[in-house]
Amino acid sequence: MISQKTVRLSFYIFLLLLLIIPFITNEYLLWMVNTMLVYTLVTLGFNILIGNLGQLVFANTAFFGIGAYTTAILMVYTGVPYFIGIIASALTGGLAGFLASVTALRGIRLYYLAIITLAFGELMRWVYLHGDKVTKGSDGLLMPHSSFLGIPLDSEVPKFFVFLLLTILVIKATSNLMKSKIGRAIVAIRENEATTASLGIPTANYIILAFVWSGAVVGIAGAMFAVLTERVLPESFGLTEVIVHFGMVLVGGTGSIIGSVIGAITLTALPEYFRQFPGLDELFFGIIIVVILLFLPKGLVSLLWYVSPAFKERYYKE
Amino acid sequence: MFLQLTLSGLSQGAIYALIGLSLTVVYRATTIVNFGHGDFVMAGAFVVYVLVIYLGIPYFFAAILALIILFILGLGVSRGFIDPIKSGPHIGFAMMSISLGYVLRGVARALWGREVFPMPKVFDMEPIFWDDIVITGDVIFITGIVVIFLIVFFLIFYKTTIGTIIQAVYQSERGASLIGVNVQIFHQYMWGVGLAMGALGGILISPISLLHPDLGATFLIRGFAAMTLGGFGSLFGAVIGGLLLGVAEQNFGFYINSALIDITAYLVIVAVLVIKPAGLFGKRITVRV
Repeated sequence: MISQKTVRLSFYIFLLLLLIIPFITNEYLLWMVNTMLVYTLVTLGFNILIGNLGQLVFANTAFFGIGAYTTAILMVYTGVPYFIGIIASALTGGLAGFLASVTALRGIRLYYLAIITLAFGELMRWVYLHGDKVTKGSDGLLMPHSSFLGIPLDSEVPKFFVFLLLTILVIKATSNLMKSKIGRAIVAIRENEATTASLGIPTANYIILAFVWSGAVVGIAGAMFAVLTERVLPESFGLTEVIVHFGMVLVGGTGSIIGSVIGAITLTALPEYFRQFPGLDELFFGIIIVVILLFLPKGLVSLLWYVSPAFKERYYKE
Repeated sequence: MFLQLTLSGLSQGAIYALIGLSLTVVYRATTIVNFGHGDFVMAGAFVVYVLVIYLGIPYFFAAILALIILFILGLGVSRGFIDPIKSGPHIGFAMMSISLGYVLRGVARALWGREVFPMPKVFDMEPIFWDDIVITGDVIFITGIVVIFLIVFFLIFYKTTIGTIIQAVYQSERGASLIGVNVQIFHQYMWGVGLAMGALGGILISPISLLHPDLGATFLIRGFAAMTLGGFGSLFGAVIGGLLLGVAEQNFGFYINSALIDITAYLVIVAVLVIKPAGLFGKRITVRV
């Protein structure tokens, strides 16, 4: 039996091992690792709403796109440093989360919520496409050269370190939040909203908080995505994208932070390999999720639970 | 011009109504919204294409055969993929239907690449000119078939024993199972019926819209909008919602801005759910404690 302490130690060793990645990979592989880091945050943010709050909220591409466009627009038109862009993206993402939470607070649940949030995402994409004057429409916004606190982000290596730092910070913050009273309240709302409210827990506040936090996390991911791709296009935030995000949450494990990381890595790496054959990436994506749903409903992270229960997150009770 | 737009809107709306209705049939029976429905719509059209072009079966029989194939597919989906995860959360159903749709789309794309196929014209007819209104053969064909289908559907639903059984299960699954209805089999049949109806929509629209693996995506949202507008879960509402949506799309597109055609459905969804979540004919949403 592996103890909690060993697991904790192995996490830190794992983090240290991550630091040597840039020295053993080429530019293309490192680009994929960076993509994985971006999607880790995307999945993490999405998982708060899908897994912890237990609501079908498909506004994730809206948060992602708003984050990316905020950074891009600010940097292109006002020339602010990237650092400010990230903060602004977190704020606008959080604001978008707040807007989306209004629907949930009006008693819209389940499929109604799924459909209205899907509509929100698609309406945002329409705004990017038709707001030509600012967003340059379907041509996309070309990002200027950016630097993070003096480090020029001109190749994949510095991007990797900056992204890794951001990802670890956000994961740690989210993990702490979810372990706190707030996180437990959010999971309680998932289990039974009426009971939670009857215990004197202000459910509406916690629902808003979950939405805002999710929006902010995905907004930061959007800011990273803008720098990663160097051109922000409306097509990156379409309907299929939100489904990929949903798949990452499910494959990794709903409501699990480790699961978010695993899901993002798996579903970034494998479809990339299949992309060379048209159609096979979709086929593969569909099949892997069907298999996970049928045989591993808790996601890939539940395989780790067999190794040691220490991997089970403390705040997430079945 | 308004009449012309309304007319073409109605024939578009007929398809939306059909897809909204087919989503509702499954939703009312199983409380599952099929997020992969668009891809089954696409699959119906592709099956007809294969049967007509590769096997040389006449269009009419190919369409009937395609509906039967999709019906059987629906039985299989319900039995093989939905039943095993019944005890899980609703999120699983949503993802299951999406990923089954992905598999279908992947198959279509792997086999036929990224090309676009013209479906053979079925109903070649000189357009009718009446005053300044032009009525094309396609409009008559689509609207006619949908109207006939809807009449048959609602007659079965309200006038026959089968319809009474369906209504009974819609009202109370438990009650129906107590009087001897096999609810599990019923769910499978309703999946079959739902997919076949969606496929009919795909078969009807494909001669106009061309055939490609992403055909279904636009129709899924239109179907959702039709359902939401008419009232989620209301059969009649889905039909009216679909027709209204079709008319609204064409008129908004012409009188305001052509870019609006793409997002009318989304605007309708947001407006309805924010202003009157129950839609036109739906029951009020109540939270059960």
